[in-house]
Amino acid sequence: MIELRPTLAGRITLTVLATLILLFLALPIVVIVVTSFGKDAFGDFPPSAWTFGWYKQLFADGSKWPAALSLSALVAAMTTVFSLVLGMTAATALVRSELPLRSAVYGLVLAPLVIPQVVIALGLFLLFEPAAMLGSPIAIALGHTVLASPIAVMILMATLKGIDERLEDAAASMGAGRLTVWRRVTLPLALPGLVAAGIFSFITSFDEFFISQFLSSVDTVTLPVQVFNVLQYNVDPSVTAVSAILIAVAVVALALVAVARRLGGSGRQDGLLPTEPAVGLSAGSETP
Amino acid sequence: MAVLAPASGSATPVARRKRLGRTLSDRRTRFGLVNAAPVVVYLLILFVYPIFSTLMLSLKGEDGGLTLHWYADAFRGANLEILLTTLRISAETSLLALVVGFALASAISRLTPLWAGLAMLVVIVPHFISALVRTYGWIILLGDNGVVNNVLTDLHFPGAPFQLLYNETGVVIGTTAVMLPYTVLLLYAVMKGIDRRLLAAAASMGAGRITIFRRVYVPLVAPGLVNAGVLSFILCLGYYLTPALMGGEKQTMVASLIDEQVMKQNQWNGASALGIILLLLTFAGLLLLRLLKSAGEALRNRGTAS
Repeated sequence: MIELRPTLAGRITLTVLATLILLFLALPIVVIVVTSFGKDAFGDFPPSAWTFGWYKQLFADGSKWPAALSLSALVAAMTTVFSLVLGMTAATALVRSELPLRSAVYGLVLAPLVIPQVVIALGLFLLFEPAAMLGSPIAIALGHTVLASPIAVMILMATLKGIDERLEDAAASMGAGRLTVWRRVTLPLALPGLVAAGIFSFITSFDEFFISQFLSSVDTVTLPVQVFNVLQYNVDPSVTAVSAILIAVAVVALALVAVARRLGGSGRQDGLLPTEPAVGLSAGSETP
Repeated sequence: MAVLAPASGSATPVARRKRLGRTLSDRRTRFGLVNAAPVVVYLLILFVYPIFSTLMLSLKGEDGGLTLHWYADAFRGANLEILLTTLRISAETSLLALVVGFALASAISRLTPLWAGLAMLVVIVPHFISALVRTYGWIILLGDNGVVNNVLTDLHFPGAPFQLLYNETGVVIGTTAVMLPYTVLLLYAVMKGIDRRLLAAAASMGAGRITIFRRVYVPLVAPGLVNAGVLSFILCLGYYLTPALMGGEKQTMVASLIDEQVMKQNQWNGASALGIILLLLTFAGLLLLRLLKSAGEALRNRGTAS
């Protein structure tokens, strides 16, 4: 292999630099997890004494957190269902059919990822305010689906592309109807992709702040909005524990996707991580 | 019947209508339309229509007629200052995310697969953790008695402790941390595709390391740099969380202004105009990306032709 051999000095510089940058990315997360177990909830790092107190406080009487947590879970669950239905049908249309105006449909589906979220949130506010739907969980879920469905479409398109279409054709040639083919052939093969798309839809909604902020009312506040309010207006030390829980949820979700990916085994499963939207969008067009 | 129909190409309206009818009656096409319908209808109602009504609201005068009054307002006084602040912070952030991302991506692209995988994990996992939570982490780290200032003071760093929160330094650090995974991912994808033998070839012809970097490596990475830079700039423009939590009064960005106008002042028209301005800036960025891309391709084609 012909290679330009790196100098020792260059190598050391690059390694040190890379380590520092990786620390830069990891440190804010580590600091929250560690501080949430510390006696002094703000700063004091590393903590001098340890406690589970902040977690216990979350579920004490009069705490606002359980309500926010269950609202967020409900909204995220609804978003997941909406997003999977829209994502699966859209991916089927884009990958498995002759669609007139295909690139226009594809562009429309991906557009919510680059349009500033404040514009989407403002538009949804103007839509739901006259309908007196502010604060309704379903309105928030419908809004979150605008952000979650493009991710689901991206993942499921990659999944469908990885499934050999001849398997579906073979089943059809043996007399299976369209629905049977879908239920007995496509669905089992697409399961890892569906799991990944579902998990990312859930996380997108569970962590979403801005649309929730515009669509929430005084009594219906999602977890991220509650965290934001605490950080901005009043001091509640258990916010560190809530943040640590949000981190744990995201990490568990990513681990589940990794497991689904492993179980998926054969076929092209690179599309399970929705990092491609950014890559795909910036390229401006899709490579067929 | 379809088989007997004259070959397409005759462009009489009747023939065209017939061809359209035939396309629509094709099974695969019908299947596609049925499946595409849910997402298209959904996005038309909950994405396109809301943005369209925002546009209409931004053009509506107090008497109900059309007006550009709200846009004039947006480009005046304090609002103009906030617009310029937004552009400045977005530029600073995307530049920083680009430089730092370049260093990290090029380091990772030289690692063995195992280490590269682990390093990419540290890049990707934070990307999926709520930006709100990460911003809170930075608030803990950068406080007057936070870890960063404590370490700098212990090292007797001149000038420490610094004021790192509620000013522009804090906002740029926090926002860069949010944008960094994007730039790293985009740049890493490009860098992994580079044939490193080209660098060796340049060296064999006597080019020094700086020349190789400047004349070979950077031009090869250039498309990725443009992508990552413009994309993180666009994403910054409408960003709300970090500037709102880590900034002071002078770091108010457009998204915060919109939030304030809607929630506190009930000033929907003005907020709509600001939203549409953000939207137009985003479109301008995407258009620029497209133009640069085709210019780059033209340049490369000319390079191979001569």
